[in-house]
Amino acid sequence: MIQVKALTKLYGEFVAVKELDFEVQPGEVMGLVGPNGAGKTTTLRCLAGIIPPTRGSVHICGHDLAQEPIAAKQQLAFFTDEPRLFDYLTVEQHLAFTARIYQVRNYEPLADQLLEELELAGKKNAVPGELSRGMKQKLAIACGLLHAPRVVCFDEPLTGLDPIGIRRMKDSILKRAREGTAIIISSHLLHLVEEICSHILILKEGRKIIHGTLSEITQKFSAQAGDTSLEEVFFRATGDAEKGNAVETPASEMKPAAGPRSPP
Amino acid sequence: MNSALLYLQYHSVKNRTVMRIKRLKQPKYLVGAIVGGLYFYWYFFRTLFGTPTRGQPFALLASPESQALLESIGALILLIILLLAWIIPHQRAALTFTEAEVAFLFPAPISRRTLIHFKLLRSQTAILFTTLLLTLVTNRLGGHVWLRAAGFWLILSTVNLHLLGSSFALTMLLDRGISPWQRRLGILALAVVLTGGVIVWGRQTMPAFDLSRFTDLQAVQDYAQQVLTAGPVPYLLYPLRLVVRPFLASNALAFLSALGPAAALLLLHYVWVVRSNVAFEEASVQASQKLAEKLAAVRSGNWQAARKQPRSKRPPFRLRPSGPPAVALLWKNLIGAGQAFTLRIWISLAVFALCASLGVTQASGGSGLRPALGMIAAMLLAWSLLIGPQLLRQDFRQDLPLADLLKTYPLRGWQLALGEILAPVAILTCIQWLLLIVILGLFWQTNPAALGRPERLGLGFGAALIAPMLNLILLQIPNAAALAFPAWFQSAKGGGQGIEATGQRLIFMLGQVLVLLVVLLPAAALFAGVFFLARWLLATFVAIPLASIAAALVLAVEAALGVMLLGWLFDRFDVAAEQTS
Repeated sequence: MIQVKALTKLYGEFVAVKELDFEVQPGEVMGLVGPNGAGKTTTLRCLAGIIPPTRGSVHICGHDLAQEPIAAKQQLAFFTDEPRLFDYLTVEQHLAFTARIYQVRNYEPLADQLLEELELAGKKNAVPGELSRGMKQKLAIACGLLHAPRVVCFDEPLTGLDPIGIRRMKDSILKRAREGTAIIISSHLLHLVEEICSHILILKEGRKIIHGTLSEITQKFSAQAGDTSLEEVFFRATGDAEKGNAVETPASEMKPAAGPRSPP
Repeated sequence: MNSALLYLQYHSVKNRTVMRIKRLKQPKYLVGAIVGGLYFYWYFFRTLFGTPTRGQPFALLASPESQALLESIGALILLIILLLAWIIPHQRAALTFTEAEVAFLFPAPISRRTLIHFKLLRSQTAILFTTLLLTLVTNRLGGHVWLRAAGFWLILSTVNLHLLGSSFALTMLLDRGISPWQRRLGILALAVVLTGGVIVWGRQTMPAFDLSRFTDLQAVQDYAQQVLTAGPVPYLLYPLRLVVRPFLASNALAFLSALGPAAALLLLHYVWVVRSNVAFEEASVQASQKLAEKLAAVRSGNWQAARKQPRSKRPPFRLRPSGPPAVALLWKNLIGAGQAFTLRIWISLAVFALCASLGVTQASGGSGLRPALGMIAAMLLAWSLLIGPQLLRQDFRQDLPLADLLKTYPLRGWQLALGEILAPVAILTCIQWLLLIVILGLFWQTNPAALGRPERLGLGFGAALIAPMLNLILLQIPNAAALAFPAWFQSAKGGGQGIEATGQRLIFMLGQVLVLLVVLLPAAALFAGVFFLARWLLATFVAIPLASIAAALVLAVEAALGVMLLGWLFDRFDVAAEQTS
């Protein structure tokens, strides 16, 4: 569903992402984690077609994003941490606009269903300025899901949500995955990633540190230290990389790094 | 006043100036500053130092009558400003402080009166700058520079104090349970009574209003002179005339004799303001938060958010889910432009313009009013081509902060580009069509020997056909500039202040004129060719539309190429690179 090969993004001399390879299959939820400046958002933006990669390729549902951007973007939804909305369009107008852009015929029943699900039905005529932070996030989600994307990327999806919103968002992500959507989530909240992701990709300084299923990764790290949480895996993996021992092999071939654990 | 507040004000101004100078290290500011500096030198400073106008009497003051007229006009303008200050506001008085000032000054042991003094001191920076600017702008009118500057300062300071005082007074009325609408009704009732009294009294002294008497501008001026200098109006405007009088003084002696009453009024206003014991702190905190939000939005490039909070607006038409996606962007941007941009409103306006212009034509008879209005409409039409694309910004310039969202849409670059610029093109075209209707209506009864009615209709049709194509091209220029030089574009709009910002705007304007000339050349050549050929074979009124169609086709091809280029520029627009730079 998502196929990334040798993805590299440079900003002048600065390497934001380097030679990144991974795949996400239908129904998989991949957590993209890493310290600040690791290249998570840059990777997601390259996947969403917002910024062009310097080198490498991205395929969405078999469509090369560089060669067939329209077909690829038609299958894609990208949710930023800060909801991106038009200040002067109402909730209803946002959906009408999105339907025309993505050519979603008979969108009204689906839009009504989404608004109902996201508890926005009573706010159809409100502009974003009249909505709370969480409601704006929900509106962005309704717009993104209107064209039934088969690939969804989330950048810090829980930012600004209340506990009920967090629970609903997690349920929604898992529901989409069960329906066969390929999902990538970038987050600093490791417990969220651990809870809902089937696969993990840890980045540091634009390079892949570990990639594999959650169980593969934790299993490797638990060989010496018993039950290992993703948080511990994260600190050990990124701490190891600091010493110059970056591992770019699949998790199944990876050996856990030795040495003291970093404090959380 | 508290010395700490003086320190704060002094260093704020000093540091801001130093920062402005330091940023000239960046080429975009340096080039802007050079161009802006040259512009200011050629238009203002050159004439300020060593020009023949220096020391000459104020050009507008040809006679004591004209002085009285100008005094009354100035007083009338002030009256309108002050009246609006008493009618429009609906909130409590709020002295605008920055969030930092609120955080530091409000909890500090500083009296309310000291805070007002601080606010007054700070407003003096803006008043002095405005005084300088107005003095430079009006320098070409002659007169004594320093006298005029002092006159401007007196007017601006009095108005500033009155606005502050009136906001305090309105707050006190609110505190006493008088709602904004009750107050507005009261003031309007007073205004109506006064106006009625003036009309009744004035009927004995003022000439009757007769449109057919206005054969030229002199007739209009004479009528205005009679109305404003005879009868009750001069008495009604007397206090405000005192404020304006020093500005219009023809020499130092006249200035000094006018200074006393004006300064006394200023002092009275000052006493009124500082003695007003109104709680402005709560409203000021809210105002400062809004100011901070606006500043944050401006700094992040989100100009839309920096404006007044938008409300839900009626869409201009129903957007169907299928069809060209570019129309969705047109629809969205028309909503952003406001409620007024619906087809029904434009048709109503067109009918009104036609009726009004024909009505004026009938009523004015052979007076000079009709051609004067026609010329003004024609000038506005020409200016709309240059100024319109700068003023109407419901396009990439508005959506650039959301460029990352636009890039996720499954659309080609050219589709996005076309959709983005369609809204300002549509609005500008409608305005120009309205002006064309007005021009045709006003010149409908002009001597047919010069240009027959069919030819005039042909010209109107041709211009109406060419206008949208031309707008499509002209709107591409600022959009292309925004995409190619986003940093320049944002500073050009948002910097908004200083010589460098003026210079940047001038560079853009010059580029626009240059492109306009280049794109017009092939269209004009084809127009001329087709026109002469068609005129040889057919009548002139047929030749003009035929030539216009040919020119419009050339412009359409140029516009299509431009849209492709704009789309290419958007495809290449690297959101992340712009953010990191």
